[in-house]
Amino acid sequence: MLIVDKELCVGCGICEDSCAFGAIEVVDGIAVVSEACTLCGACVDNCEVEALRLEGVEKNVQVDLDNWNGIWVYCEYRSGSLSSVSLELLGIGRKLADARGVKLAAVLIGADTGDTADNLIAHGADIVYRADDPGLAYFTDETYGAVLTDLIKQHQPEVVLAGATAIGRSLIPGVANTLGAGLTADCTQLDIRADDGALLQTRPAFGGNIMATIVCPSSRPQMSTVRPNVMKELEYDAGRTGEIVDVALEPAQLDSKVRVLESVQAENDDVNIQESDILVGGGRGLDSEKGFELIRQLASSLNGSVSASRAVVDAGWIGYPHQVGQTGKTVAPKLYIACGISGAIQHVAGMQSSETIVAINRDENAPIFDVADFGIVGDLFEILPKLISKIEGYQKS
Amino acid sequence: MKIIVCVKQVPDAKDVRLDPETNTLAREGVQSIMNPYDQHAVEEAVRLKEKLGGEVTVLSMGPPQAVDVLKQAISCGADHAVLVSDRAFAGADTWATSYTLAKAVNKIGAFDLILCGKQAIDGDTAQVGPGLAIQLKIPFVTCVQKIRDASESELVMERMMDDGYDVVAVDYPMLLTVVKDLNEPRVPSLKGKMRAKKAEIQVLSAEDVGADSAKIGLAGSPTQVVDVFPPPPRGERAILSGSIDEQVEQLVEKLAAYL
Ligand SMILES: Cc1cc2nc3c(=O)[nH]c(=O)nc-3n(C[C@H](O)[C@H](O)[C@H](O)COP(=O)(O)OP(=O)(O)OC[C@H]3O[C@@H](n4cnc5c(N)ncnc54)[C@H](O)[C@@H]3O)c2cc1C
Ligand SMILES: Nc1ncnc2c1ncn2[C@@H]1O[C@H](COP(=O)(O)O)[C@@H](O)[C@H]1O
Repeated sequence: MLIVDKELCVGCGICEDSCAFGAIEVVDGIAVVSEACTLCGACVDNCEVEALRLEGVEKNVQVDLDNWNGIWVYCEYRSGSLSSVSLELLGIGRKLADARGVKLAAVLIGADTGDTADNLIAHGADIVYRADDPGLAYFTDETYGAVLTDLIKQHQPEVVLAGATAIGRSLIPGVANTLGAGLTADCTQLDIRADDGALLQTRPAFGGNIMATIVCPSSRPQMSTVRPNVMKELEYDAGRTGEIVDVALEPAQLDSKVRVLESVQAENDDVNIQESDILVGGGRGLDSEKGFELIRQLASSLNGSVSASRAVVDAGWIGYPHQVGQTGKTVAPKLYIACGISGAIQHVAGMQSSETIVAINRDENAPIFDVADFGIVGDLFEILPKLISKIEGYQKS
Repeated sequence: MKIIVCVKQVPDAKDVRLDPETNTLAREGVQSIMNPYDQHAVEEAVRLKEKLGGEVTVLSMGPPQAVDVLKQAISCGADHAVLVSDRAFAGADTWATSYTLAKAVNKIGAFDLILCGKQAIDGDTAQVGPGLAIQLKIPFVTCVQKIRDASESELVMERMMDDGYDVVAVDYPMLLTVVKDLNEPRVPSLKGKMRAKKAEIQVLSAEDVGADSAKIGLAGSPTQVVDVFPPPPRGERAILSGSIDEQVEQLVEKLAAYL
């Protein structure tokens, strides 16, 4: 509990300002703590008169933290292909493993995975645990969860990372809960603390308005899902060597109460915007669904795909798979052209790592210009047709 | 059919902002609302009840003022409401929250279906639903975008994936987390509002639900927030100049590498 020493408190209000959760208020010259308190301790550190302290928050530390070792990455394999975030996670995993002086292992679950395991080694893994079985052709939380949970129990890695994808954000919470492990969702930055091996997991909270760093002080493994397109994969190096361990499966692990009847791929092949090098994003400035015609034309002239802000997805002008941002996808294309998008922090959170950002908006104060490399202030209905014809002309010449 | 819906009261995230001058959170007038995804969960529960018969109980863990969202759910058609509230829950992460909710579900009694939102917009974690299912040892399906068929024995539904969707069938009991595409939540009727006003909300403490004090609140949470800070500052503004034609011309030159 957060205790306020009424004798020491001077009612200065510094704690009120330092609380990200709005849980402290100065009432009649004394700090008062509400239920919203998460016991993060930010106020305790900031209190100049040492009137605040946390009490009774020591936890039962698992005695054998040191018995857990190695960095693991769950590598997602679906419909015959490996998700690209798997390779990105091997990149950051390699760094963490080297910092700790431990091995980096990849867990590959699926059917007909071919030479994927070799690919994982070439991208940095020292060990690949491969569970390849026709019974794992379709993803279910129960089957994949059983395989992953049992492997973790057996080998005791200190860290387990997975992509914050539809599968990762379903599978990993179940596994973490079974293990009683701490799990941080949607991380955008990972570091390891040298002295105690604590994984410092940083993620956006409150729709990206603040960042929070989270640790798991007393339990192992430390688990995180990580947003696609924020970590860098290593160069493919066929010279890397590693060990492939084929996992022997029990029939019980292949049993699921969830029966997958069918797996339907979206008919639009441009839907997977995370894989595109060039994205043209449309926002509410397009005025209507019809406005997307211009966006599609520009995208096709550039051989790119179409993305969108949440406002237009909510309005039903385009489907959710196209949404970029905090509650949509994180993308990092070579080129992102934002048209009629204001640049709210939640949208920017999903595209700011793009190599080059172009913004077209008639409001010169729109925050999108703060992240843009090139901005044009003006009416997109005037600019886009000109841009499209210039680009088409350029390509012909 | 007995359905339980987990609803959370959250600050309206669009109101939570960093004051650029002082770098602190400007919270003046921040509204508390029912987590938007949970509204869709309540709506689906009421629709299933209307189709198959039964009862809907809404459940929330939170401070006393969370009764507001429970009343809102009743005004939209839920029958009963339970609030688990205790200072000892402070600092609960998703593990401790799902443990506490599981204890409360056991207290409520038999159920066929539990519905949760995909995620709560304050933390955006999407972990409590699956965690609760694991604690209760029942199967779960996340990100359900459509219920194709609902019968007395099973549900057939579409779960959203990154590259499309999967069609899955599950027998009761089960837990689902839902996305916004599932339905359009109704606006409460006048009668519903009257019912909500009069509704008795059962409030349970940690002890009432038989929760182990080592497993709730911060003590029961494997994760801990150690730092909060504003997102990194943005770069310099870079706006082209000249007439629109000149700007377009310049832009195409700058983008030559991508054409
Ligand atoms: C918890 C939370 C999560 C969120 N997650 C996301 C997310 O994942 N992704 C996301 O995008 N948003 C998200 N949002 C919403 C976000 O805050 C904004 O509301 C949204 O991004 C705005 O979309 P927009 O830029 O299209 O619309 P607006 O903000 O309305 O901007 C439209 C812009 O178009 C310009 N414009 C209008 N007409 C023209 C014209 N003719 N020519 C040129 N310019 C024109 C205007 O100047 C304006 O800047 C989230 C919000 C919250 C609270
Ligand atoms: N304190 C709570 N009380 C009731 N339901 C909750 C609570 N926290 C989370 N949930 C449910 O779990 C879902 C996912 O929340 P989260 O894992 O916090 O993103 C929410 O949409 C709710 O349905």
